[in-house]
Amino acid sequence: MTIAYPTTLAKRKSTSYLQRLDWVLVGGALALSIIGALLVYSATRSKQADAGLDPSSYLKKHILNLAVGLVLGIVISRFDYRLLRAYTPILYGISIVGLVLVLVPHLGHTINGAKAWFLLPGGFSFQPSEFAKIAIILGMSMILSEKRDAESEPRDIDVIYALGVAGVPIALIMLEPDLGTVLVITCAVLAIVAVSGAPARWLIGLIVAGVLVSFLVFKLGILSPYQVDRFTAFTDPTANTHGIGFNTTQARIAIGSGGIFGQGLFHGAQTQGHFVPENQTDFVYSVAGEELGFVGAVAIVVLLAVILWRAIYIAVRASDLFGRLVATGVATWFAFQAFENIGMNLGITPVTGVPLPFVSYGGSSMFANWLAIGLLINVHMRAKE
Amino acid sequence: MTTLAPPPRGSSRREYVDPDYLGDFVEYDEPVRRARKPSRIQPPRMFTPGDPSKRIRWWQLISLALLAVVAIRVIDLQIIQGPTLAAAAQREAMTTKDLPAQRGVISDRNGVPLAVTVDAVNVTADQTLVIPTKNPTEAQKTAARHLAAQGLASVLGGDPRGYEQRLTGSRRFVYIEKAVTPATWQKLAALNIPGIYSEPAKKRIYPAGSVAANVIGFVRADGQGAGGLEYGLDHELAGTPGTSVFQRGWHGQAIPTTTSTGTAPIPGTNVTLTIDRDVQWVAQKAIAERVKFARADSGTVVVMNPKTGQIYALATVPTFDPNKPAEAVQADIGNRALSQVFEPGSTSKIMTMAAVIEERKATPLTHLVIPPVLVRPGKIFHDHDKHGTERLTLNGVLAKSSNIGTIMAAELIGGQTLYTYLKKFGIGSPTGLQFPGESRGHIPDPAHWSNTSFGTIAFGQGLSLNAVQAASIFATIANDGVRVSPTLIAGSTSSDGQYHVAGAPTSSRVVSVATARTVSAMLESVVSDEGTAPMAAIAGYRVAGKTGTADRANPDPNPKAARYKGYTSSFIGFAPADKPSIVVAVILDNPRNGHYGGVLAGPVFKSVMTYSLEHFRVPPTGAPRPHLPVTW
Repeated sequence: MTIAYPTTLAKRKSTSYLQRLDWVLVGGALALSIIGALLVYSATRSKQADAGLDPSSYLKKHILNLAVGLVLGIVISRFDYRLLRAYTPILYGISIVGLVLVLVPHLGHTINGAKAWFLLPGGFSFQPSEFAKIAIILGMSMILSEKRDAESEPRDIDVIYALGVAGVPIALIMLEPDLGTVLVITCAVLAIVAVSGAPARWLIGLIVAGVLVSFLVFKLGILSPYQVDRFTAFTDPTANTHGIGFNTTQARIAIGSGGIFGQGLFHGAQTQGHFVPENQTDFVYSVAGEELGFVGAVAIVVLLAVILWRAIYIAVRASDLFGRLVATGVATWFAFQAFENIGMNLGITPVTGVPLPFVSYGGSSMFANWLAIGLLINVHMRAKE
Repeated sequence: MTTLAPPPRGSSRREYVDPDYLGDFVEYDEPVRRARKPSRIQPPRMFTPGDPSKRIRWWQLISLALLAVVAIRVIDLQIIQGPTLAAAAQREAMTTKDLPAQRGVISDRNGVPLAVTVDAVNVTADQTLVIPTKNPTEAQKTAARHLAAQGLASVLGGDPRGYEQRLTGSRRFVYIEKAVTPATWQKLAALNIPGIYSEPAKKRIYPAGSVAANVIGFVRADGQGAGGLEYGLDHELAGTPGTSVFQRGWHGQAIPTTTSTGTAPIPGTNVTLTIDRDVQWVAQKAIAERVKFARADSGTVVVMNPKTGQIYALATVPTFDPNKPAEAVQADIGNRALSQVFEPGSTSKIMTMAAVIEERKATPLTHLVIPPVLVRPGKIFHDHDKHGTERLTLNGVLAKSSNIGTIMAAELIGGQTLYTYLKKFGIGSPTGLQFPGESRGHIPDPAHWSNTSFGTIAFGQGLSLNAVQAASIFATIANDGVRVSPTLIAGSTSSDGQYHVAGAPTSSRVVSVATARTVSAMLESVVSDEGTAPMAAIAGYRVAGKTGTADRANPDPNPKAARYKGYTSSFIGFAPADKPSIVVAVILDNPRNGHYGGVLAGPVFKSVMTYSLEHFRVPPTGAPRPHLPVTW
């Protein structure tokens, strides 16, 4: 079934691209990216200087990533997403190839236990699982919105196809293993299935299966030791104060010593003293907590809430199911990834190594986030009045 | 398009709702799946489990709840637990570090620095950061270390392989090189080798090198005095370290944007010595050449002022470079002028003469008949050179250094009196310099004397002293019979800039002015053509002195070994004889090329004394030398 809205589209041709932009969404994402640039700079400048390197190199690369991300977002927002749908199988295929290649010895590069990166010249790296998120969202949305016979709910076979589309990349990412990304994608899959109108038994079945699988994976020792360490650290942060529990303990100390207004940007003792490892990526929120205090920490949460609110609003107002499912997928991805990331900084979720959207340092993540914003804008621009 | 919420339920727009739009809470009267028009999509069921729009609302609630959980936890951590966690951070980061005090300068009597502490840099490394690439392969690690080691070697010198070894491992802090100059560090820092850091350090340097090294001593790598005055005066030189309380990062580095408190260190006291660098240098050079010529084990020169007891030079060879104490031979780092005792031999005879004259048992003109040998219970005494029966004055006994004549003179006063005088001259007593490692020498108590002790002690065997003690005997004669205890410290400058003159040395009268001057006149005969050391004479000046060619105690501890082995050759004297300003003592230990004190030590005396007289601008007195008869 094809959905076309010639009348509404024609109506909108009169208004300009800029007028049709969701400025609240773009503003929120931009604000987070800029805060992120400052936090990344604060986290890395003294480390870099101590190592005799350019103190602002991370800042520069973060801004470059942001610029590339903005361009990608603008490009993707200009295509009608309904045309994009046609390219979805190609995007999905490329994404699967990337996930397979990263597992090939000597091609993929391991950081913090996950073989998830391609190293590029100039100190850049590329993480295919970030783009797989978009491929999965597009692929599932395509299948679940292709309802036969104008039925309001997808048939079981559609759901099975959709889960298959999600399952292959999830399995590949599991092999890296990057459990955090798997969790984020799983949540997005669940939300897309739910919003597609699939029968409730699918939802209940998926949740039960997810819980069972997690339990089995943990109990049967399928997880690598470092993942178990991370979980142990979450349940008892003091168990190993110099291993992974050290990260979370130091992050919490950093956030706790921020107080209401923080110690001031570049003035956090925990941050500048390099007590919190990986505080330009996974633990960037601890920099905000310490240096910008409660005000800054809450501001980031509020900005994320603004993005989520707009994403859900766009999902609600989407002119077709495909757009709605895409927006739902993006919203879920952002929501759970932000929750997982901030949660591990605050010591309420396991350390899974996912970046904080827009804020954490990392090119692939930044590109994928802005591609997703581009998709949301795309859906928004073609929504009904 | 700026509407922020879905259209309100039951609004007038209801009838215009496009049925394709699935997001509204639209109520329809007809059951969901009844009518099937091919061109239209069936509107969704209302509030059924599969209702997508309701599920979006649920989803909205879930994400709100997630954010609320996060917000509550932020409040918990920052507002409720904030102070506790902040205290934990402080505890973790606050550290107290000792700030080393600047060590005092040791300078010579004219303020020429002999030991100073300068800023230096310790080169350190973080072994994990030498490899700049993330998750490197073994080959990359080796290549990075190799490159870093090459860079280090290019500036610091040395073997790159040694550096490579020190860069290998996972330690976050290792020393690469201690106490390099700031300029060297700047060169190294310009190479931008990853993982190579610096820490401020202090370095003790000795600008004059080995000049006075055995007086000044040296410091250990940690800056603590380990030898000589650096050790003896360590407490004064070291000062009081301060403390710095600051916030420290994970690698121990000070966090630049945090404040610090603490107390300032109090610098150590600057010490001014009585040593004169130039005289010291001349003395070291002269004795070094002579030791080499005589193939002696070692040599020592003492230059001192007889009136003040101030020591101008304490030279001993072989010596060492205090800048590189690790390379020094253990035996060369002490000060032999104080730590090495020897049997003085004939130089000791002036004490016997002074005692006899002071006791009025004889005068320089007293006639003595010297037999070829002197038979005493248990021992037959000889002179150095075989001779027939000689008729010498007491002056002649000293000038010719006759052992037999000296014993005969000493017999006029007896052992107990002789012992009393020797003690008064400082034999067997500490010099008062309180120099580390000083050895005071030994003279046995008369109660323990053997049959031969009296005779040998009279001419300087069977008792031991160090070179400063030996010089002090002559200084006592030169200072009209008053013994002034020797001193090395002229004064000190405390951290407040105040200069404190060292306390006055103790002095004691040993013999009368008349006796001292008489002995002095006799000592001039020694340097005459009739005496044993004409080569010690200095043109234009009146010189008094005495040679010593002593049997050297055998250092072999084997009880069956000979008691004596080799010689200790010496010459000690002062000038100008009639207005003494400078005493010079020269001692050569175990020379193998000749052994007579006058021949070996005399020329050293002459060159050091000549230089000292010029250096201290001592004019010749111009008075004629007394001519005491040697024979009768």
